[in-house]
Amino acid sequence: MDAKNIRNFSIIAHIDHGKSTIADRLIEQTGTLTQREMENQILDSMELEKERGITIKAQTVRLNYKGKDGQIYELNLIDTPGHVDFNYEVSRSLAACEGALLVVDAAQGVEAQTLANVYLALEHDLEIIPVINKIDLPSADPERVKAQIEDVIGLDTSEAVLCSAKTGIGIDRIFDEIVDKIPAPSGKDDEPLKALIFDSYFDSYKGAIAHVRVFEGMIKPGMKLKMMSTGKTFEVTDTGCFRPSPVNVDELCAGQVGFVAGSLKNVKDIRVGDTITTVQNSTKEPLPGYRGVTPMVYCGLYPVDSSDYDNLKDSLEKLQLNDAALVFEPETSIALGFGFRCGFLGLLHMDVVQERLEREYKLKLITTAPSVIYHIYKTNGEMLKVANPSGLPPTTEIEHMEEPFVKATVIVPNDYIGAVMEISQEKRGTFISMDYIDNRVMLTYTIPLNEIIYDYFDKLKSTTRGYASLDYELAGYQQSKLVKLDILLNGDMVDALSTIVHIDRAQPRGRQLAEKLKEIIPRQMFEIPIQAAIGNKIIARETVRAMRKDVLSKCYGGDITRKRKLLEKQKEGKKRMKSVGSVEVPQEAFMAILKVD
Amino acid sequence: MISVYIHIPFCLAKCLYCDFPSTAAEKNIYHKYISALRQEIKLKHQQLGSLFVDTVYFGGGTPSLLPAEYITEILTALNSLFYICADAEITLEANPGTVNLPKLAALKQSGVNRLSFGVQSTQNILLKNLGRIHTFEDAKKAVNAAKKADFSNISLDLMYGLPHQTLVMLQESTNWILHQNIQHVSIYGLQVEDGTPFAEMQKAGTLHLPDEDAVETMYDYVTDILPHYGFHRYEIANFAKKGFESRHNTGYWQDKPYIGLGCAAHSYYNSKRTYNTHDLYEYIRSCNNGIIPVFTEEIIDSKAWMEEFCFLALRTAQGINKNSFQENFHRDIHTVYGKNITELLSQKLLAENTTHLFLTPLGMKLGNAVFEKFLL
Repeated sequence: MDAKNIRNFSIIAHIDHGKSTIADRLIEQTGTLTQREMENQILDSMELEKERGITIKAQTVRLNYKGKDGQIYELNLIDTPGHVDFNYEVSRSLAACEGALLVVDAAQGVEAQTLANVYLALEHDLEIIPVINKIDLPSADPERVKAQIEDVIGLDTSEAVLCSAKTGIGIDRIFDEIVDKIPAPSGKDDEPLKALIFDSYFDSYKGAIAHVRVFEGMIKPGMKLKMMSTGKTFEVTDTGCFRPSPVNVDELCAGQVGFVAGSLKNVKDIRVGDTITTVQNSTKEPLPGYRGVTPMVYCGLYPVDSSDYDNLKDSLEKLQLNDAALVFEPETSIALGFGFRCGFLGLLHMDVVQERLEREYKLKLITTAPSVIYHIYKTNGEMLKVANPSGLPPTTEIEHMEEPFVKATVIVPNDYIGAVMEISQEKRGTFISMDYIDNRVMLTYTIPLNEIIYDYFDKLKSTTRGYASLDYELAGYQQSKLVKLDILLNGDMVDALSTIVHIDRAQPRGRQLAEKLKEIIPRQMFEIPIQAAIGNKIIARETVRAMRKDVLSKCYGGDITRKRKLLEKQKEGKKRMKSVGSVEVPQEAFMAILKVD
Repeated sequence: MISVYIHIPFCLAKCLYCDFPSTAAEKNIYHKYISALRQEIKLKHQQLGSLFVDTVYFGGGTPSLLPAEYITEILTALNSLFYICADAEITLEANPGTVNLPKLAALKQSGVNRLSFGVQSTQNILLKNLGRIHTFEDAKKAVNAAKKADFSNISLDLMYGLPHQTLVMLQESTNWILHQNIQHVSIYGLQVEDGTPFAEMQKAGTLHLPDEDAVETMYDYVTDILPHYGFHRYEIANFAKKGFESRHNTGYWQDKPYIGLGCAAHSYYNSKRTYNTHDLYEYIRSCNNGIIPVFTEEIIDSKAWMEEFCFLALRTAQGINKNSFQENFHRDIHTVYGKNITELLSQKLLAENTTHLFLTPLGMKLGNAVFEKFLL
C-alpha cells in the first residue's frame, strides 16, 4: 500500500455520544465484516465494556475503502478508551494518528470529555473533522451544536458532517471527509525504524502483542527489535493488522498501523508510549511523550476467605498480562489478613478490575476504601509515598504532608452554577475560571484528587440531575493539613478502616463514618462500640446493640424447605462478612467511607 | 405410621400479614376442591399403598370455613384407603368468627378431636389492624362452644409484636388465655413478609410496630408466664399441658414422614420433599386428570437430611437425640459439628446432657444463630 493512500484516524467523543456506533457503521459499510458477522459495537469486545457502554481497551481496525476517485484507501481506525482514567492511553492512541473524528451528540452538545479529548487531539496537531451524530433525534439541534463547537473549541464547522449512525444517514460523507481532509502519513520505509506502541494485549498462543504505528522504517517477521525505554530486545514472529480480528500481513510499512508479536511473554515489556526500533541501525531519538505507568488510585484487595489468597494472586497476575496499568504488591492487614495493595489509573479502572476478579475469577473480595498517594515529608528529611493510610508514620515524625490535586472541568446548565460551586467548595476546590457555552457554563477548579475519588462526581451528578459532565487532569502535589482517621470496633483499631482526611473534615467525617458503620454492622450476640479517633482522641462514638431476638416463626404446614432456604440465606450473608476480632463485619463496611454524605 | 396434612386454601378475607397460600374464593368452588382432594387421596394411595395414619391436621387458610360435612367427607375418604388409627390426633384450625356450637358439634362428630383457634389477641383494635375477621367476643363464644361440644384438646394462638400492641395489652390477652382451661398455646411473633399489605405499609412508613426492645420484653413475658400456669414449653413456639403436646407438629421436628394433601401442601416421605402447586384451579384440574400436581420436588440427600434432622430437632425442648443421630448417620454428632457445638456451648446458646443437645432459653431466643451452625 502506497503511504499516500493510508489514513490513520481516531474517533473522539463524550461518553454515549455514539463513538462505537459510528465505528460499527464504518466497519459495516466497508464490508470488513458482513452484516451477519456484525455484532453491535464490535470494538467493545469485553463483556464489561458492552455492559457499561464504554471502551476500556483501545482497539484498532483496518478498513479498505474505495474512494470517489476509484482508488483503494487503507483506513486505520484507532479506537480510544472513552474515560478520563485512561487519558494517557488516549493521548498515545491520538499520537498514532493524523486525524480524528470529533463526534458530538446533536441533542446534548459539547460535554467535558469532548473538550478534554479535543485538546489532546489538538496537542498532537491532528486534523479534526467535526461529526454531529444522532440528527434523527427529535431533540436534535445540529445548528446550535455547530455554533457551540465554533465558540468553545474554535473549529470551523461549515463542513461538519451531519449524520445518524443509527439510521446510517451521513456515513458516506464521513468516508469522503477522512480521505479528503486527513493527511496521509509521511514516513519513509528506508529510514531507521521508529514505531509507537499505543496498546498491548496478551494472546495465549502468541504471547504479549504490541499495537503499533510505524512512523519510519518497516517491520517484518524475523527482524530483531528493541524497546527503547527498557532496552529489551526480541525477534518478530508475526506482523499483522486487525480486521477486526487479527490477520497476519507480510510487513508493516511506514505509516501503517498493526500488531507485532515476538518472543515477549509479558505485557509489561510492552510499554504504552514506548518506541520500538531495530537492534542494528537503531534510530537515535525515540518518539516524544513516553512516560511510565502512574497509578492514581490505590486500594486494598483481600479475599473474604483467606485460603483464596493464592487464587487472588494468580488472578491478578493473569489480569496484569493484559493490563499493564494494573500494579499490585502484597500487603498485610491486621483486620483482613493477607491481600494486595493495588494501583489503578482511576476509579473506573479500579471498578473494572474488581468486577472482573469477582466475575471471571469467581473471587469474593473485600475492597478497602480507595486512596491516593500522599507525599509524607518526615522531620528527618526523608520523603515517603504512602498509599495505605495504615502506612503513615507517627505524627511526631511528620514534618508536613502533600496530596495530589487535579484540574477539574465541569460543564453544566446555567441553573446549576450555584450548586456546582457549592459542591466544589465543599470539596476543598479552588475556583479558577468560568466560561459560557450557550446557556451552559464551563467551570474550572483545582480540587484534591482525594475528594474526586471520594464522591465528587456522584454529588455533582445528583445535584445537577445528571446534567454535569466532568473531566480532570492531574495538577501536581500541594501541601495540605491531613490527619489519619482511625476506627475502633469493640475497642480494637481496625487498620483497614483507617483513612486520611483533611483536618477540617476529620470531625464530621468521623461522626458520619461511625453512624454509617452502625447501620452496616448487624447486631451480634454482644454490644459493639464503634469509635472514630484521631491519634488518641476519640471524636465520635456509636453503639451497635446486642441482638435481642432472632428466631424463625412457627412452621407452616411442614414447609421445611422454606426454613432451610432462610437459614442458608442467612449463612450466605455471614460468608460475605469478615471476622475482625470477635466482630463480624460485612464487606461493604470497608467502603463505608464512600457512602457517608 | 404417617401424618397427614390437609390444606384448605380458603379465607373470608386475607389477613394483612399473611403470606400463606389462601384466597377469598367463591363458595361454589368448595365442593370441586373436596372432590379434587378425594382424587389426590386415591393418587397418593396408589403411590404409597395403605398406611396407618396417626395424625391428621386441617390447616389453612381457614378450614373452619368448610361445612362440617365436607370435613366428614374428607376423613371418610382418607379412612377408606388409609387407616386412621383409633387414637389419632385430628386437628382443625379454626377462625373464631366462623364457628358456632352446632358446627363444632358436627365437627366433633366427624372425628375432629383437637381445635386450634387463631385468637391472636383480645384487643379488638389490634385484631382489626391485622385484618382479622373475628372479634374478642367471637373468640370467647368459640372457646365456650368448643368446650360445650366436648372438645378436650383446645389450642389457642397468641400473637405478639403487633402494630400498636403494648406489653399491657399482651398481658391482658395472655391472662385471658391462661384462664380458659384449655390445653395448648402457640405463640407467634409478627413477621412482616414480602408481598403482604403489611410490607407495603412498612415501606410507606405507616406500620407502627413496637421496637425491638419492646418485642423482646413481650417475648420474655409470654415465654416466662406460660410455664407458671402449667403450659410447659415443648418447642420454641409451643406450650402445652402435660400430654397435650401436638403430635402432628412434633412429627415435623422429629423427622417423621408426612403426606400433604391439597393445593400448596407439603409432603415428606421416601427422602423427598414435595410441594403441590399453589394454584387452586391447576390443582383441581390436575387431580381430576389423575396427576398429583407436584410443583417442586426436592430430594433430601444425606447432607440435607443431616442438616434438617438437627435444626428441626433443636426447635424442641428435648433437642437432638445424639443416639438417633448416630443411628441415622453412622457418625458421632461431635465429629460432624464439633467445632460449632463447642462454640455454641461456650456462648451458652446450647446445652448438652448425656443423651441430648438442646437449646438454652437464650438459644431459643436466638434460634436462627444456632440453627445456621448446623448447615454444612
